[in-house]
Amino acid sequence: MASLRDLKRQIGSIKNIAKVTEALQTVSAVKFRKAENRVRKARPYAENVEQMMRDVARSATGSSPHLAGREVRRVAVAAITADRGLAGGFNAQVLRRTQRLRDELGGEVVQVASGRKATAFFRFRRVELAEVYTGFSDNPTYEKAREIGQGLTRLFDEEEADEVYLVYNRFESALTQRPVVTRLLPVAREEDDEGRGGDGVVAASYFEYVPDAETVLRNLVPRYVETMVWQALLESAAGEHGARMTAMKNATDNANDLARDLTLRMNKARQAQITQEILEIVGGAEALAAS
Amino acid sequence: MTEGREREGGRQLFCRIITPQEVVFDDDVDMVVARIADGELGVLVDHAPVVSTVEIGDVRITQGDERRVYATSDGFFKVSENLVQLLVEEAVPADEIDVNEAEDRVEEAERELGEVSEGDEEEGAKKERARIERRRKMGENLARVARRYGNEG
Repeated sequence: MASLRDLKRQIGSIKNIAKVTEALQTVSAVKFRKAENRVRKARPYAENVEQMMRDVARSATGSSPHLAGREVRRVAVAAITADRGLAGGFNAQVLRRTQRLRDELGGEVVQVASGRKATAFFRFRRVELAEVYTGFSDNPTYEKAREIGQGLTRLFDEEEADEVYLVYNRFESALTQRPVVTRLLPVAREEDDEGRGGDGVVAASYFEYVPDAETVLRNLVPRYVETMVWQALLESAAGEHGARMTAMKNATDNANDLARDLTLRMNKARQAQITQEILEIVGGAEALAAS
Repeated sequence: MTEGREREGGRQLFCRIITPQEVVFDDDVDMVVARIADGELGVLVDHAPVVSTVEIGDVRITQGDERRVYATSDGFFKVSENLVQLLVEEAVPADEIDVNEAEDRVEEAERELGEVSEGDEEEGAKKERARIERRRKMGENLARVARRYGNEG
């Protein structure tokens, strides 16, 4: 059994850890609320860009590789993680999903990493990284999304990759972030648009495009990719703070449980020691009285 | 997603200006004027559906006797079912533009442009130059809109 002094020291350090994790939890909670708000406010833009992409994709004639695709020889995969850990399985689950996608795709994969955790993961496995973006995961700017988006579009346009995938944590709540895979390029043509029923054919000629659908398409594609990346960065940031908040709450709870158990043990040990001492004194006194 | 909103008595035109950060403007209006790919376009109620790009410039919205002007970056424009939508990266109300800040932006961009453009014909440098050029144009645009429409109130 550990000595009284050892127990005391253990309890002290566990309580210190609990203080640190609790502080982190509080900070993450504040950042989480901010990030969640940003995601919510940014959604209309992403939804409308996506809608416009679907409309234009239906109307554009000619065979743009952005829509029709081409024979797939190489595939680009962009993984978005956080820069920092202490967020439970947040980073690991995206990287696991990315690894699985790479295995499924087989063949040659052009890997792009956003976030220090992704960068470290692939460097450790000696996977060559085509592009690396770090230093903004907890508070992304649109400027960064544009940089990444343009990088991805360039990979496709210069035929370094014939398909472009994005893997990131979709934020569902503070407790759950789900790793998702989306294909950015070529843009998936949706056969039946939800909510529009069977009027897809009518919708094709519904809009007047100025100057024409192909020009709008050419301008829209890079912006569409940027927007999807932007949305992913925001979702990932909110998820990161949520995951960290949850992880730190668990850590704090665990530390407090542990401290309680140890305190109980310490009190028992102290009590046992006192009892022992009393027994010794009484034993000694009786021995003296007997003699 | 549905376009066109609930019409409250009679036909009404709506306008929404949306940036990657947030919805900047969302209200019923009488007229919207924007610079689309082939020139300025004024939209009144029951306009035919159009999709186009917009250039760096301004969007003017008329509501009754009131006029609101936004300095906008480039982006996309769509009218459909009496809803005008502008998807732009930046949209600043004319009366909230800080002219000094806009001019600083132009100066900064010009300085950076000088640093990058020295004989560098590499692909990356070209992209960088285009990016800075856009920032310069937007800065000039902000200053222009602020001077012209800033004190209308």
